[in-house]
This record gives sequence, C-alpha cells and structure tokens, in this order.
Amino acid sequence: MALSTRYVSKETLASLRRNRLMTVAAILTVAVSLSLVGVALLLQQGVSNATVRWSNGVNVAVFLQASATPAETLAAHQQLMSMPEVKRCYYMDKKESYQQMRQLYANQPDVYQSVTINEVPPAYRCVLTNANDAVMVGQALQGEPGVRNVVYPGQEITTMRKVSFVVQVIFMSLAAVLFLSALVLVANTIRLAIFARRREVAVMKLVGATNWFIRVPFMMEGLVQGLAGGLVALGAIVLLHWGFESTIGHAGAQNIFQALVIPTSSTILIGVLVAVIGAVMGALSSLLAIRRFLAV
Amino acid sequence: MILFENVSKTYKGNIPALRDASFEIDKGEFVFLVGPSGSGKTTLIRLLLREELPDSGRIWVAGKDIIRLGHWKVPYLRRNLGCVFQDFRLLPSKTVAENVAFALEVIGRPAHVIRLQVPQVLDLVGLGAKASAYPHELSGGEQQRVAVARAFVNRPLILLADEPTGNLDPKTSLGIMRLLDRINRTGTTVVIATHDSGIVDRMRRRVIELRDGEVIRDQERGVYGYGT
Repeated sequence: MALSTRYVSKETLASLRRNRLMTVAAILTVAVSLSLVGVALLLQQGVSNATVRWSNGVNVAVFLQASATPAETLAAHQQLMSMPEVKRCYYMDKKESYQQMRQLYANQPDVYQSVTINEVPPAYRCVLTNANDAVMVGQALQGEPGVRNVVYPGQEITTMRKVSFVVQVIFMSLAAVLFLSALVLVANTIRLAIFARRREVAVMKLVGATNWFIRVPFMMEGLVQGLAGGLVALGAIVLLHWGFESTIGHAGAQNIFQALVIPTSSTILIGVLVAVIGAVMGALSSLLAIRRFLAV
Repeated sequence: MILFENVSKTYKGNIPALRDASFEIDKGEFVFLVGPSGSGKTTLIRLLLREELPDSGRIWVAGKDIIRLGHWKVPYLRRNLGCVFQDFRLLPSKTVAENVAFALEVIGRPAHVIRLQVPQVLDLVGLGAKASAYPHELSGGEQQRVAVARAFVNRPLILLADEPTGNLDPKTSLGIMRLLDRINRTGTTVVIATHDSGIVDRMRRRVIELRDGEVIRDQERGVYGYGT
C-alpha cells in the first residue's frame, strides 16, 4: 500500500505543531529522563575505567625490602601464587621500579634523585580475580619476612565504587520514574492529536484507508518526540563529558578522578544508545495511545 | 451485489434492531430503505459497512461474505462502498476540492490520479465552480453534493446514503435525489435509507420497508407506504 513519506511527514509535522505545548513538555521529560540514564551509564563506565586503569588492573602491590634475599623473594611469590584470589603476579625488579618512580614523579625530580637504584624496593604487582579481595590478600602478606609493605589502593576505588553505585541507583530510579511519566506524556500528546483529528480519522475509516495508514502518522509523531528527547539527552551527555574532561582531564595522573574520564567514543556510544532508547520509547507509547484511543 | 440472509442484530439490552432480515439487491439497482426512526435502517447500513457484526445470518457484498472478512480486509470492502450521511461529515478545515481529494489520498491514490478525478467528480455534482470554497461557505444542499462527490470519486460499486436529505428542504432534496439517480445510471448500485415520503413517492423506485427490524415490504416501483 502506498503510504508516501510526503504524506506521513506532512501529517506528522502538522500534528506536532498543533500540540506544541504538550509536545515540548513530552520532549523535555524524555530528555531529562534519558539524560539521567546517560549520566548513570557514563559513571558506570568511568568507574570501571578507573578500576582497570590503576596500573593495568593491578589490585595489590607487594613491596619487598630493598635488602630482601632471593629466598625471601621466592617465598613471597609462592605465598601469593598459593592464594586462589590471586589471578597473576608479575615481578618488578629494582630497575623497573626505579623507572616507574621516575615516571610517576616526573614533575618532582628531587624525589627520585634522592634515591639510588639500590635503595628502591622491588615489588610484586598482582591482579586479583575479584578486586574486593585486595584487603585480604594485602593483610596476608603484611609482616612476612622480606616484605616491606603492601599497598592496595583498592581502598579509594572501593569507596568510589560504593559512592558511584549509590549515585547510579538514585539516578536510575529517578530516571525510571521520569521515564514512566515521559511515556504517559507522549501517550497523552498522541491521544490529544487523535482527538484533534477525530473527524479526519472517521472519514478515513469510512472511505477505506487501511489501519496502518491511519496509525503511522500518529506513531511517527510519538517516535519524533522520543527521538527529539533522546537527542537533547545526547547533547547533554556530550556537554557533560566535555566539561568533565576540561576540568579534571588535565589534573594529572595522581588524581583518581582523572581515571573517570572515559574516551569520547564511549560517550558518543552512550549518547546514541540513549537517543535510540528515546525513539523506541516514543514509538511504543504512541502505539499504546493508538491501541487505547484509536478504534480501527 | 448485496445479499442479506436471515440477518438479526440486537444491541445490548435493547429490542432487536434487525430481525431475520432477508433481501437481495442486484447490480445497478436503485433502492429505497424506508421505515420510521428506529426501524433498523441505520443498523442495516452499519452492517453493510461492517461497522457492526450481526448476531446471526449472513451478508454478502460484491460476492464476498463480509462477516467472515478478515479485520484487515475491511478497509478494502469500504473502498467499494461510497457513503453519504445526513450530517455530511465534511472536514471544515479543508476546501471542497481538498475534501474530495482526501478520500483518494488516504487510500493511497497517486497525485496525478487525484488531480484528474477531483475536478471531474465536482463537475458531475455541479460544484466545479466552488472547488476552493470551504464547507461553511456552502448551503446545505451544496455540502451534501460535496459529500456525494467524496463518496463517488473512487467509483465505488455501491453508493449508500443514510437520510441524505434529512437536513435539507424539499426542493434541495429533490436535487440530491436527481444527482443520486444520475450516479445510478453510471451503473452504480444506490441504496438510500430515508423517511422522506415525498421523494420516495415521486421517484417510484424499488422500496424495502422495515418496521421494528423486520422487512415488511419489498416492492418494485413502490411508494413510501400505505397510509403512513
């Protein structure tokens, strides 16, 4: 059946214009709800990014005494490898450790200039199956012969995770509530549009327009509203990303929040996802309205 | 063309609107359905358009059992049935030509066909000069002519009219009847539900009379009724 693009776009635009106020309200609600979804997703990405970024997923660093004997080094290694929580470890000798130190304190040369290679402790850097076991593994190694200290910066990460989890739950619940109201708002706008065109619809049915011919402009209207809201949310997400990047992105490697900045490509991906969710949601809610208010 | 076999219909909690109605209308006939208000005329037209389903009996339109027709096929049935109502049902925001063109647009006719057909049918109903007027600028008779043009522009097999002259004065009514008669002569089957006895008596066409939902008379070249 010939359902021309021209006809559909003409009808859809006319209808959107007729219900301007309701349309704007629907679009804004969709936008706010999807922005919250987007921010929650960004945060989740950022946190998992930050966790991974901490030295390639290393959860625990076991620093040995600079004077540790080969036997002590081996004992520490064996103990680490015997723990099921430990996925893998690699040994950083004095030279490597010194190199890393130079890198980390690049801005403060006096820190590494004050020590010689021989004074730098070698270390085992370990990746755990579950980052939450970092404290346990660290405590097991602490105080063993030859072990100087154990660092598990998991602490900050764990806190960050907890905070971000709470924030995500809050955002997602808010988003869910707003999402529902957006759904209802879009459906209501469509219902108004159907009401405004009830005479046309009656004539269309009478002269034998197919059900899809009658429905599609209304569905498109909902889809456009959802998509518009989604695109606004996409804009908001990209803006947020830029803002975050320009304020924190250059704060330096030590700043843990720096790791939260996720690549632009991921941000765009989240944005596009959000826009698609908007379009689908708009189409769905107009379908809902059509089912209830358009007896065809 | 139209065949009713023992059709009955009762609306919820009411007395029957149609009781065991049977009749046949051939292709190219011109038929009046007469009877007082509530005798079942409108129900009959709604059944033909498949806006309603009967409780029992069978209805055939253009060789198809329309009761067994799939839901999605109903629009295609309606393309064979032009319909005119007492209240015209024109779209006030569209001009005469747009109102007629709308009927073609929404069944997906291409623009060049619409450009050709609309002026033709407007000339047929005698409104060629008023193509760009709005319905509220027209008289009742002219509005009904637009409605007839819209019903006929797709060249349906059957033209149904439910009290087409109910809102019109006798002279204008006669004009509408002449128009429907002219359409009938193109080979279109015309079915008119009316209680306008003057018109029926004057036209002397087939009359099917309904009373309380029953067909009580079916007469060639009939008049409105004996003593009603």
